[in-house]
Amino acid sequence: MRTASGKRTKAENIYLPVSGRIEEIRKKTEDVSLFRVSTASPLRYTPGQFFMVSVWGAGEVPISTASLCEDDLFVEFCVRKAGTVTGAIHSLQEGDRLWLRGPYGNGFAVGRRANGDVLLVAGGIGIAPLRPIIQMFAKDGSAGSVTLLYGSKGPQDVVFMDEVQVWRSGGIDVILTVDRANCDWRGSAGLVTDLWHRARVDFSRATAYICGPEIMIKSVMRDLSLFGMPDERIITTLEAHMKCGVGKCGHCYSGPKYICTDGPVFSYKEIKEYSLLG
Amino acid sequence: MKSEWVLSKDHLSYWLRQLRNERELIGPLRDGGKDILFRTVDMLHEIVLECPSSLPSPKGFLFPQYEAMFSCRGLSLSDGSDGKREISDLRDRTRRVIFGVRSCDVSAVRLLDAFCLGKLRDPYYEERRRNTFLISLVCNNPDPTCFCLGLGTGPYLEEGFDIQMTDLGDRYFVQAGSPEAVRTVRAMNFFFRKPRKVDYEDQYEVFLSSKARFRKRINLEGPRQAILSGKVGDDFWQEVTDRCFECGGCSYSCPVCTCFTVTDRINPEGIERARLWDSCMFKGFTRMAGGVLPNEKRVQRTKRWYYHKLVHYPRTTGKFGCVGCGRCAVACPGKIDMARTATKIKGLALKEEVE
Repeated sequence: MRTASGKRTKAENIYLPVSGRIEEIRKKTEDVSLFRVSTASPLRYTPGQFFMVSVWGAGEVPISTASLCEDDLFVEFCVRKAGTVTGAIHSLQEGDRLWLRGPYGNGFAVGRRANGDVLLVAGGIGIAPLRPIIQMFAKDGSAGSVTLLYGSKGPQDVVFMDEVQVWRSGGIDVILTVDRANCDWRGSAGLVTDLWHRARVDFSRATAYICGPEIMIKSVMRDLSLFGMPDERIITTLEAHMKCGVGKCGHCYSGPKYICTDGPVFSYKEIKEYSLLG
Repeated sequence: MKSEWVLSKDHLSYWLRQLRNERELIGPLRDGGKDILFRTVDMLHEIVLECPSSLPSPKGFLFPQYEAMFSCRGLSLSDGSDGKREISDLRDRTRRVIFGVRSCDVSAVRLLDAFCLGKLRDPYYEERRRNTFLISLVCNNPDPTCFCLGLGTGPYLEEGFDIQMTDLGDRYFVQAGSPEAVRTVRAMNFFFRKPRKVDYEDQYEVFLSSKARFRKRINLEGPRQAILSGKVGDDFWQEVTDRCFECGGCSYSCPVCTCFTVTDRINPEGIERARLWDSCMFKGFTRMAGGVLPNEKRVQRTKRWYYHKLVHYPRTTGKFGCVGCGRCAVACPGKIDMARTATKIKGLALKEEVE
């Protein structure tokens, strides 16, 4: 809109990324690495939010925060090498620059619920956005019990295997499962939905945080709802193709909701109401 | 006081020439293939005003099909120097005047304003919009595909225009709708005279005759309610989808559609990040990293387009996401368009009532 004086205002450019420095790269599995990035200006984000991460010449992708924002100094991204941009990110070295815009999205409204258990269900790389919640409960404890059900393809694909012990000593009941086990594997084999009996959770009073492949999210939500968990306490974060992260490009427009600005965190109630999952 | 004047047709080209001193003049021109396109006007006599609606719409001057966003120079992937200097913001700051815009397209620009300049302001759109001055022309002869009448987005506007001109035969009735428009006219007031009683009467008659010439009378409120009440099932949308070629013509020609994709291009001079029009009718529109496609059927894409315009737009803005320009009817090779779909939904709802 034209300003009264027709004067040019130096408006901020919402698409302009800021430069970040890769402080550390930790290889987690064959195709997943954890990137710790710092920026000149302080970073404030909450669990479940995401950044638009770019490599000039390759492009920009939405990546959820995999760390707890504690001292505003860095953010961690857990990236699976899947396409063009994530491939370019994986070719970077420590000390290289990664460009960021954000944080975007609503994030998990997570707190230490007074009288309820917490159930976290993750599939594959879906552990990444749940990691800050796990870290939070492992550090500060929780009123109820905290259980993590985590499914991976194989024993070598468990992304945060090195942190499982830390989480366990923080009081979190970590149940691991793989699709295909080998003789060294000491966890379960099969789908996460086969392990409900192992979760010591009062379903009717618990809150669930779920992230993983669409098919897993769908069946986990359906099961938990059948077990009597209220739909508004079954919470997931959805993945979508995005080009802007700010509700303009239209790619994540799903029903009347934009995954980027109205989500990516939605409850089962909202997912059913707006048919966000097909 | 009323911001209304009369401009003799003899004075039009002089006035436009004056406007062109300060701004790039854009107008409807006929290209080699006889299509009507909005282009930079070199020869004033080439402007065509008695013509069908342009295809594509003039939205491209506010939201171009290809727009460079940033350029990034001298930046290798592992370059440790501070990067901020090397990124330049490529916002287009050209001052333009678009002459001969239709009322529906002005209404579409109002919808784009609400969307692009809402909570988060799109800087590229904002810059172009601030520098673009619209002169709209009342449609005395609507096209057979036009249905703005039923939406209140044409053939003339009561408000929301910069300058609106009505062809009265030998002269134009000129209305200024914004402070800048009043200033623009006043700065060259020697071209204009005050309207007389006869000018008002003629304008009223032109409005009446234009309204009478519409062949399509479509009320989208009926279809909206039919959809909301669940009368329009998936089998209906499947029938619509069966005719879809997935060409994206409806979205590209639509003056309200704004979906875009972003791409990085590597040139010898550096890297350019640009955005391009995209269409939600394409299969790859929702494709995620590594080529994973969400479980989505073609019918869901068709539904999303119509739901966005007919249901979600009214819910969030109080207005339909359609201005009745009829371009989707011209563009679609499968003969799917908003007016036809709305009419079919109306028939479906009526049939159900009778049964």
